[in-house]
Amino acid sequence: MSQKVLMALFTEVTPVADMLDELRNRGIDDKDMTVLSGMPYPARVLGRPMVWEKLPVIAISGAVVGFLIGVFLNAGTPLLYPIHVGGQPLVPIPPSAVITYEFTMMGLIVSTFLGVLWESTFPSFGPKRYHPRITDGRIGILFRCSERRADEFRALLEAHGAEEIVEPEERTL
Amino acid sequence: MSVESKTAPLVWVEAEDPREHLLLDPRPPEEMNQMIMDAMHRTGPGFWTLVIVTGALILIGLVGAWGYQILKGMGVAGIRRPVYWGVYIANFVFWIGISHSGTFVSAILRVFKAEFRRPITRASEMMTSFALIVAGMYPLIHLGRTWRFYWMVPYPNQRQLWPNFHSPLEWDMMAIFTYLIGSTLYLYLPLIPDMAMARDRSTGWRYKLYRVLALGWRGSEPEWHHLKSAINIFAFAIIPVMFSVHTIVSWDFGMTMKTGWHSSIFGPYFVTGAIFSGVSAVATVLLIVRKAMKLEYFLRPEHFDSIGKLILIFSFAWTYFFFADYLTEWYGGESVGKELITLQARGPVAPLWYLMLTTNILIPWLTLWSRKVRRSFWGLMLVTLGVNVGMYIERYIIVTGFLTRNRLPFDWGMYNPSIVEILISIGSLSTFIFLYAVVSRLIPLVPVWEVQEGQVTHTLRRVGRALVPSVAELE
Repeated sequence: MSQKVLMALFTEVTPVADMLDELRNRGIDDKDMTVLSGMPYPARVLGRPMVWEKLPVIAISGAVVGFLIGVFLNAGTPLLYPIHVGGQPLVPIPPSAVITYEFTMMGLIVSTFLGVLWESTFPSFGPKRYHPRITDGRIGILFRCSERRADEFRALLEAHGAEEIVEPEERTL
Repeated sequence: MSVESKTAPLVWVEAEDPREHLLLDPRPPEEMNQMIMDAMHRTGPGFWTLVIVTGALILIGLVGAWGYQILKGMGVAGIRRPVYWGVYIANFVFWIGISHSGTFVSAILRVFKAEFRRPITRASEMMTSFALIVAGMYPLIHLGRTWRFYWMVPYPNQRQLWPNFHSPLEWDMMAIFTYLIGSTLYLYLPLIPDMAMARDRSTGWRYKLYRVLALGWRGSEPEWHHLKSAINIFAFAIIPVMFSVHTIVSWDFGMTMKTGWHSSIFGPYFVTGAIFSGVSAVATVLLIVRKAMKLEYFLRPEHFDSIGKLILIFSFAWTYFFFADYLTEWYGGESVGKELITLQARGPVAPLWYLMLTTNILIPWLTLWSRKVRRSFWGLMLVTLGVNVGMYIERYIIVTGFLTRNRLPFDWGMYNPSIVEILISIGSLSTFIFLYAVVSRLIPLVPVWEVQEGQVTHTLRRVGRALVPSVAELE
């Protein structure tokens, strides 16, 4: 059965949430729908399932790696190449805390950034379905349906106040 | 008897029209986007004059004067016994202080959900990154043998020598690197949706640039979700890094046994001063940017009013730390400490010291309580410029002034910056202005999506006979 991809643009968020419910009731699975918007709407505003978030785990893992690097630089390098400075022990704890802290934070920050790229699969300039009016404040519902039901969904989208309904081509962003 | 019923009209709780508030005065998103795009393309004769003049000053200061210093050696600078830390270190501390602007305005206000931050975050985050770049040049300039810088970098080498990680100078380098990386990524992350907005409205080289920087952004739910999570993590992570950076800079001084420097209060004193000067610099820059880029719709008197209040609060805080440090030294009665106090009150640096007290305490306290001053262009401009003059003097006195007096009176001396040091200082200031001017025409200076998000969540709600602003929590 051939499939069609439709994109409907709305100006308000409430009809979008209503429309998503309607699509779900008519058998469109949540994974076959995507909402595109120019500003963030949390999942519960749209009535969508929560996105599983790995970012905090990635961030904490980065912090742990940073901490270990900090400990190695503070404790490992003076033990490998000992130089006694200012009457301090080779591995004094108070001054070591500073560098360890900085490396921990560096690990946290860098891993959070890399985590966003990983989670969002950025950068990805390949062909995607998109509409430039999204950044003009329109909220787009992008969904896949069977070709024979396309007219039914078009009528439904119009009834919910869709400003524009298109069959978007994939294009490079 | 007939009773005449009278209904009192609904009233707005504040003096001015609610539409004076950006978040209660929404415009169509496409119109807002166009305003930002127009601002980015606005390059009149004033802009080009600024770019050419600052470009020339960079050439004179950083290529000419710094090149001359590298060629001839540190003898061309004014530093000599007993003052081995001169204007380069004062500049370093000052620019690190300015770099606190972005993190404070953006991260702390974001964490506390201060809504007035929305249009001003990016302009202040940009200040952080550029101020750090300028600050980061000074250790290299001060080093003299700049090409030996890599000795500070930890890597296995044939010298079998690692940097001393227990030295405050190494802490400094690591803290600045962490803060520079963190603040630049924190500037970039919220910029991605605005880069996509600019991509959708650009052609030619601008399209290519924005396309790359937008990373393929479409605004899908997972993209927004991950971005918002990351911004929240960054906001919480960058705040302690910000505090650590200036604290570590203060420890460059505090860890020595030098009278006037060896103080446990230096950490919070420096951080407070940094935020004081950083927020003041944000106000100065925003006032200029608002006029030059015609951003009156986004940057309104309400924002300057709030920033003015912050500056006043930080003036109180700075005064508290300054006095606590001063009183401890004064009460201790230690001979070198007494000499330092005399130096400031009646000695050669007295005119600068009194000017600092005037611009950092007297003027803000006498003026910023007034709503009229906080909302006036020239009023706020003069106060904030004054604060940064005062804060520069504070750093100059702490770095160079305190070194002129030590435990051995035969070794006392005075310091005057040489022409090379002055030219390099002007070159670095020009670098900041040049970078800011150029980049403000390349990236949207106002985070449009954050403003739009704020406008969606702000409404007027009726409470009795009054209309009060109300904020919805979408998160």
